[in-house]
Amino acid sequence: MSFFKNLFAQKEITLSNGKVVKQPRSIVPIVLIILGFFVYISVEITGFDMQVLIRRQRFFFDILKAMFPPRWDFASDVWQPLFDTIKMSLLGSIIGAVAAVPFAVLASQNVNQNSILRNIIRVVFSILRTLPTLIIALIATYIFGIGTFAGTLAITIFTFAIITKMLFEQIETVEMGPFEAMESLGATKTQAFIAAIIPQLLPTYLAFCLYCFEINVRYAAILGYVGAGGIGLLLDEKLAWREYSRAGMVLFMLFVTVVIIESMSRYFRKRLT
Amino acid sequence: MHGLYLFQGENKVIKFENVSKTYPGGVQALKNVELEIEQGEFVAIIGLSGAGKSTLIRAINKMHGITEGTLTVNGLVVNDLKGKSLRKFRRNIGMVFQSFNLVSRTTVIKNVLASRVPDMPLWKSLLGLYSKTDKIKALESLDQVGILDKAYVRADKLSGGQMQRVAVARTLAQDPKIILADEPVASLDPVTARQVMGDFRRINKDFNMTIIINIHHVDLALDYADRVIGIKAGEIVYDGPASGVTRNTLNEIYGGSTEYEREIGEA
Repeated sequence: MSFFKNLFAQKEITLSNGKVVKQPRSIVPIVLIILGFFVYISVEITGFDMQVLIRRQRFFFDILKAMFPPRWDFASDVWQPLFDTIKMSLLGSIIGAVAAVPFAVLASQNVNQNSILRNIIRVVFSILRTLPTLIIALIATYIFGIGTFAGTLAITIFTFAIITKMLFEQIETVEMGPFEAMESLGATKTQAFIAAIIPQLLPTYLAFCLYCFEINVRYAAILGYVGAGGIGLLLDEKLAWREYSRAGMVLFMLFVTVVIIESMSRYFRKRLT
Repeated sequence: MHGLYLFQGENKVIKFENVSKTYPGGVQALKNVELEIEQGEFVAIIGLSGAGKSTLIRAINKMHGITEGTLTVNGLVVNDLKGKSLRKFRRNIGMVFQSFNLVSRTTVIKNVLASRVPDMPLWKSLLGLYSKTDKIKALESLDQVGILDKAYVRADKLSGGQMQRVAVARTLAQDPKIILADEPVASLDPVTARQVMGDFRRINKDFNMTIIINIHHVDLALDYADRVIGIKAGEIVYDGPASGVTRNTLNEIYGGSTEYEREIGEA
């Protein structure tokens, strides 16, 4: 037991003049023990087996090998669904991001003093965030039919929920000093918000929107799996028919698109903040 | 100039009559304050932290309300003002803060132009469409505090002293009759603090501006202000010319604590 005693012992530092400073106990050892325990439990529950991973890894490479070289001439069939995917994510991102603004304002403590309304909005949004986009898309296909509309709707809802959360947290950390200054010179709350809060938020908000758009392009790519349109539909089909070289072409074009969009987004986000 | 206010009966722009302020928790920040200030006076309010300096200065533009008594500013009873009439009243009173309260992510001129926002339609301020007269007014205000060359620099690129000057320019662009300054030099180094105090004195003389300033540095208060008001536990314990402040006066204001002795020693 002396090991544990040493582990949790309170360290004391004695200064040259005899004064003793007690260091507070570190919680790191406890956190590590708990973390190790949970890793063990999750391995047990999920039946994770390293040997299976090693034994069967070659099959993974078999499929990858089959994708090379991609069927370049298949590109003409990929363009349309690829553009659908980008359109879905762009439209969904814009609608969701714009709709998020008023709700973010209402959800932030420093602007909205009405705690009941604030908490209702927050609860609704945390429920909304727990719904995976894929599930929302699936439900949307049941209601609005198969196609890009369902996908756009799913992406709109996802963007709406996530931007509201990011933005209201940003609003709460905003400096209220300039707001006070605006009130002191005779501005209304709305005028003070426009002149003192919006300039602080705008760059971060636009950066959030770009980041969300980035994520959405990747999400939109798989939405086709549940029939919500876009490139995912094509990918699913080609994989199911074991036309791996065509699936390879789909993946290649998706990869290039995502890289282009991400680097553009990253460039603009850097300029914003 | 010293003591001139003692002989002028008219032209009182600020009048505290038996004003008290009790915070909801029961703390009494101001006790039966009687005070008259004339147009063009430069008043420094000194006292320990928590003595009520901030409450006194913020009562004048009703950033903090009072609970008892009558406060008259520019001929209006401040107690009664609210909503639109309060905002209109505040247009004539400038305020400068310890932490400058600028929007750091935007340019200096936009910060100064913010003082025009209450007079323009919302959509114009949202799109940043300021009129040419407003821009000229803002640039002239910046020129008056000597930082015209920084007009199109982002506010967070400036030093503390320059930021406070932007805040002063924002107030000037508002064409106020009174400027209230709540610890305007507390976060500045001693040299910059003197420069900003110099700006205040120049504005006071050039525009016959009433300036009321809360300040911790007794030496600065005595060097720049014409009149000094000492507050202790919400009560005015000294009110007179800066030249009349003695060691005994300071003893009374600061309750004989040793803190100020060092400060005075430096002065």
